[in-house]
Amino acid sequence: MQTKPRDPTRSNGVLISILVFVGIVVVLLFIALLNAPTMGGPRVMATLQTYLTEVRATAVPFMIGVGVLAAIVAFFFAREVHKAWPNARRRSEMFTGYAFLAPYLLVTLTFTIGVILFALYISFNKYDIFTRPIWVGLANYAQAFKGFTDSTQRDFLQSLYNVLWYSLLVVPIQTSLAILLAQLLNAPMRMKQFFRTVFYAPSVTSSVVITLIFVWFYLKAGYANFFIETILGWFGVNFQGLNWLGDPRGLIQLIVEAFGGTIPSTQWYFRGPSIAWMAIMFQNIFTTVPTFMIMFLAALQDINPTLYEAARIDGASNWQVFRKITLPMLKPITLLVVVLGTIGTLQVFDQVYLATSGGPLKTSLTPVYLIFTEALGRNGPINMGYATALAFILAVIIFIFTFIQRRVIEHGTEQY
Amino acid sequence: MVEVNQEMSRINRSYHSSEYYLKFVKSFFRYLLLIAIGIVMISPFILATLGTFKTDLEITAFPPKWLPAVWHWDNWSRVWNTDIGQGGTFPRWLFNTAFLAVMVAVSQVIFGSMAAYAFARLKFAGQNAIFNFMLGTMMIPGAVTLIPAYVLMTKLRLIDTFWSLILPGLVGAGAIFTLTQYFRSIPRDLEEAAIIDGATHIQIFSQVIMPLARPAILTVLILQFQGMWNAFLQPLLYLNSPNKYVLNVALSIFQQQYKSQWNLTLVGAMFNAIPVLILFFLFSKYYIEGVAYTGIKG
Repeated sequence: MQTKPRDPTRSNGVLISILVFVGIVVVLLFIALLNAPTMGGPRVMATLQTYLTEVRATAVPFMIGVGVLAAIVAFFFAREVHKAWPNARRRSEMFTGYAFLAPYLLVTLTFTIGVILFALYISFNKYDIFTRPIWVGLANYAQAFKGFTDSTQRDFLQSLYNVLWYSLLVVPIQTSLAILLAQLLNAPMRMKQFFRTVFYAPSVTSSVVITLIFVWFYLKAGYANFFIETILGWFGVNFQGLNWLGDPRGLIQLIVEAFGGTIPSTQWYFRGPSIAWMAIMFQNIFTTVPTFMIMFLAALQDINPTLYEAARIDGASNWQVFRKITLPMLKPITLLVVVLGTIGTLQVFDQVYLATSGGPLKTSLTPVYLIFTEALGRNGPINMGYATALAFILAVIIFIFTFIQRRVIEHGTEQY
Repeated sequence: MVEVNQEMSRINRSYHSSEYYLKFVKSFFRYLLLIAIGIVMISPFILATLGTFKTDLEITAFPPKWLPAVWHWDNWSRVWNTDIGQGGTFPRWLFNTAFLAVMVAVSQVIFGSMAAYAFARLKFAGQNAIFNFMLGTMMIPGAVTLIPAYVLMTKLRLIDTFWSLILPGLVGAGAIFTLTQYFRSIPRDLEEAAIIDGATHIQIFSQVIMPLARPAILTVLILQFQGMWNAFLQPLLYLNSPNKYVLNVALSIFQQQYKSQWNLTLVGAMFNAIPVLILFFLFSKYYIEGVAYTGIKG
């Protein structure tokens, strides 16, 4: 359109593109510099000079790698700027847009992408912050699976075993309870707001508060034993109070022992979730059901009422309506709840830290708790490389799980 | 009884009697069930609150009594006046927690709505790529960034300062996503007029969109406040002097310190729970909308 001032704009565009290119590379390299895999500690971090010396000594390959990535990103970006430059409206939208996104981009590049690149690099090293990282290849990843051959080093495998049971029991129970409660609250009634608010209360407070209250319930002289004893007493059953959070006996072990068999401690992987672990599961279900209930409730209210009316006219029973209309309509939200539930349960930490510290007999050890203790050196020397390797293995497992769930839920309900 | 009889006779007049009777029984059991579940849901808070007034012996006596024999209000003042040294006092922890939660919630709203405006109302190259990238980062498990973020904080010498919690919490994908969805639902007509009047994007953002988005902003504000108030793992990792603790971290120290004095630990827990519960009962509509809204993305 504007042919007259064409040439000056063009040349401006090139200049600006080059500036944008340089600017992006500088910013990304600066973020990489913050996350460079060097040793830390007050001596190194004393001045910029000492830190840069350290970066030169250990982090050159890392910086080159990030530099190449930064150049590629910056090139494509600069090209877009060059294309948008001649058009005043596009130019202004682009600059406003990136100015508005700048805080988010800086935060996420520094504290998410930058730290993940650092972690990936460090997971191939032996690293304790205060000395230089030493390249060890896949040793950290190999160490995680040593438990297969050496049962004294089974901490990580045991923690995976524990959280797998945790997900397997908690996710289906909390999802179905959430659907049922949402269904109950969705019926026309008085004081709906009131009940909804009361039901949601356990999800509002911090998990620390709820966990502490439940630890108190689970004491030998606590309400858990008291309630069970009272209720069983009505039926004439005598119940010996349990030390809930200190009982390492597994679910499968209890069943086998009831039939007179035993499971030796070398076959810990046949014992199933321990009583302590199941007590924590119960508490977790209690606190997460309300959140998911609210999500289901919102989805239920979005279902078109004419669907129900049509089914009623056709003479469908309550169960048929629930099975053939409600559940299929809830499919997307169910997928979300199952995925969120799995991600959450595979990363349990707060409850373990406060209630059991991974015990008894490591039956409530979880990967995140293990990562936490390894990184802070509570199991011996600080072992950042090993801790980050464990985190990546856990992340891969989480991705695989969510992928499978997506496939199963999307395919399994196609018949409706 | 009289009421029920009146109700029944009214029914007999207007409806086929047995059908209505069935309906009445059904709704009676529904309410009974709702009340029972409601009691179960709030029982931990009620039992814990009653426990805060018991003596050291009563709190772990078996079988437990419902009510304390004598109401020991002094438990609350004992906890309030706790001093674990190095400036670690209860009012201090309460202040730290509230300060951090407010800072993070406000900055999430400001920077989050700026980013949301860019996504919802502007059009520029790379926009979709960045939006998808943002959705992708929401799938990254927190366990992966935990340790390297800790290393970064030690290197920046931010460990044991509030910056270690504020900087990564300045703005996040969750808040941006909620706000973007809301901004997209606002009709564009109002801005058209402003654009014709020659308003800049900054003016449209601050004077047209932000006032219209008040419900979404309140929702994000409350959910972020609650998220930071209830955070545990990061504060536990980053803050290690007693005068910097937040309530959750202080509580975990409490539990170890007062091993058998559960009445005091429970007072601490209730101090932590009461502010969020009050906030929740005041703004429950926004809470619930916020949670429901995050679900819609599925």
